[in-house]
Amino acid sequence: MYEYLNNIVGNEVITYFVVAALPLFLVVLPFALIAVLAERKVSAHMQDRLGPMRVGYHGILQTVADILKLIQKEDIIIPQADKKLFNLAPFLVFIGSYAVFAALPFSSKFIGTNAEVGIFYILAVSGFVVAGILMGGWASDNKYSLLGAMRSAAQIVSYEIPTAIVVLTLVMITGTLNLGTMSEQQTAYFWNWNILGGAGEGIQQILLIPFMVVAFTILFISTLAEVNRTPFDIPEAESELVAGFHTEYSGMKFAMFFLAEYANMFAVSAIIVSLLFGGYQSPFGYLGNTLGIPALIPFEQLFWFLSKGVFFVFVQMWLRWTLPRLRVDQLMTVCWKYLIPYAVFNLLIVGIITLI
Amino acid sequence: MNLYDIIFYLFAAITIVSAFIVVNAKNIVYAAFSLLFTFFGVSGLYVLLGADFIAIVQVMVYIGGILVLLLFGVMLTHKITSVDIKAGSVQTIPAVIIIGIFAALLIGLMYSTHWAVNPAEIPVTTTKSLGKTLVTEYVLIFELLGILLLVAMIGAATIARRDGDK
Amino acid sequence: MKEYLKNTWEGIWTVLVGMKVTLKHLFVPSVTIQYPDVKLPLPERARNRLYVNMDDCIGCDQCARACPVDCIEIETVKALPTDDLGVTSNGKKKALWVTKFDIDIAKCCYCGLCTYPCPTECIYMTDVYEFSEYKREDLIYNFSVLTPQEAEEKKKNYEKFMAEKAAAKAKAAAAKAAQAKTDNPNNSDKK
Repeated sequence: MYEYLNNIVGNEVITYFVVAALPLFLVVLPFALIAVLAERKVSAHMQDRLGPMRVGYHGILQTVADILKLIQKEDIIIPQADKKLFNLAPFLVFIGSYAVFAALPFSSKFIGTNAEVGIFYILAVSGFVVAGILMGGWASDNKYSLLGAMRSAAQIVSYEIPTAIVVLTLVMITGTLNLGTMSEQQTAYFWNWNILGGAGEGIQQILLIPFMVVAFTILFISTLAEVNRTPFDIPEAESELVAGFHTEYSGMKFAMFFLAEYANMFAVSAIIVSLLFGGYQSPFGYLGNTLGIPALIPFEQLFWFLSKGVFFVFVQMWLRWTLPRLRVDQLMTVCWKYLIPYAVFNLLIVGIITLI
Repeated sequence: MNLYDIIFYLFAAITIVSAFIVVNAKNIVYAAFSLLFTFFGVSGLYVLLGADFIAIVQVMVYIGGILVLLLFGVMLTHKITSVDIKAGSVQTIPAVIIIGIFAALLIGLMYSTHWAVNPAEIPVTTTKSLGKTLVTEYVLIFELLGILLLVAMIGAATIARRDGDK
Repeated sequence: MKEYLKNTWEGIWTVLVGMKVTLKHLFVPSVTIQYPDVKLPLPERARNRLYVNMDDCIGCDQCARACPVDCIEIETVKALPTDDLGVTSNGKKKALWVTKFDIDIAKCCYCGLCTYPCPTECIYMTDVYEFSEYKREDLIYNFSVLTPQEAEEKKKNYEKFMAEKAAAKAKAAAAKAAQAKTDNPNNSDKK
């Protein structure tokens, strides 16, 4: 991808910027546009409502209208706020969630950076999100914001541990930290996916299946908590904290937080997909192979990656409208007393199995 | 001056400027947040040195862990944010002398050392070799560190435990 | 330990059950309607906005008197004998010009008490329930079919008629008196 663009543009620096901006314009913005609408539609239909119906056919242009409204809004900075940090925070949060996209394998030909530390890098940069949230919460000079930021940081830091342990489990099986390589290993056809024991053979693969399901459950729950979605949305619990750390934000800065949240949703879904559900690989083989057009394959891979990612985003929304919010102590109990012991246990057993 | 040089100077500037703010900021929260950029700049320098794993560990441990803990400490401590911390200069003359000696030493070292200049090469991944050395050559230290951390964790849990909780 | 495992299992299982319920509801047709486009039928005897069919109104003022919040204001002028006001749909002859029939719907409490005494059933409650206005004055409905000029004219006509009548009466009385005087001069002396 990079070489190809470099040949077209002919300048290293411009190419870097183009490559860096591609996921933003190809994935994040369209995804946020669709996901916000989908969220409202899914929630409406799950509650036997219809949701937005006014703008365009069945309200499909609702998000566009909302964005137009958000752009026009006044950028309110409350006088008591710490202006520098207040202005910096949304960008830091967005950088944190957007940086994740650099290491996601969208297709075999389109990976931002095929760095060897891929998944580890993804786990690390989410630290920026925590710092940004704390910054925004503190700078707002509002007790709700500060409380929300505190809760958010505590939650993300705690749930990083089960995530890391499960990722470690998968790294142990695949022997690589690189998400591109991991996706390549789970070659086409769904029985090669890691959730079904990976591309290994014989008894080992079958033995791994239940533990992979456990790994998936833990990974899904903990990543859900990391992106602050219901049932783990205590940082922005509307009924107690107004809107948590972004209570005081309005206009485009609020839109940045919003965009970051949706980018995060897709990012964690993409991590689950590339770790356990074959990455960009198609479940049934490629049309490009059948038709004899190899150029089609990367686009098919992009399609599969995005649709799998969007499916998990849908599951997140589905859970959101199923479960009530957890209490703070319940949240910590789930993490420290259930997820982490299970994750460690799972790690040990998978380690033993891989030794067989 | 190619792209990598520009990036290097950018990261170096971020590191130095933010480190200066850490030392000079009157507001302790500003200092804490500047530390974020210092760590970020340092990790960028690590990447340019070809130490990708170390760079990521830097981000993960310092930004994701230590900095957040620091911020927690600063924010949760009552009224600490409004305390004016001393950032003025005291005992200027001894400090200038010591720094002068130290700087002379460093500059002297810099000029006297025979720098081995290697032609720039594509950095190879360090993860695998790092992992191998950790569990073969340095396994004892690695395990000891693990035990140390475990002890620290148990100690922290014991301290945090309320009396009467059984 | 057993408790712990059971807890975990129950946690996961109940979440799955809940998800099954929500998934089922995803395909249930919505129970809400698109309000301004689609409206629910109102009950037959729903009491909403008042309406007065002025063709039938005889200006009897009974509704105004029945109203517990005094939101109806009626002014009438007697018709001249030469005016033909027609008859109401149930055959009553109208004898009054209704120069003013104002209902302040902002005051109305939708009790429907005004509709019962109406002899011609010309005041009734319709099923219109969306009639918000930007100005409070717009909530005063003028039902009178006469324009202010016409009302003024009727009033004048009636006054003129009455004056004429009074004049005629006076003239008649005077004539009568004069006649009586001529007939019976003693009488007038006595007076």
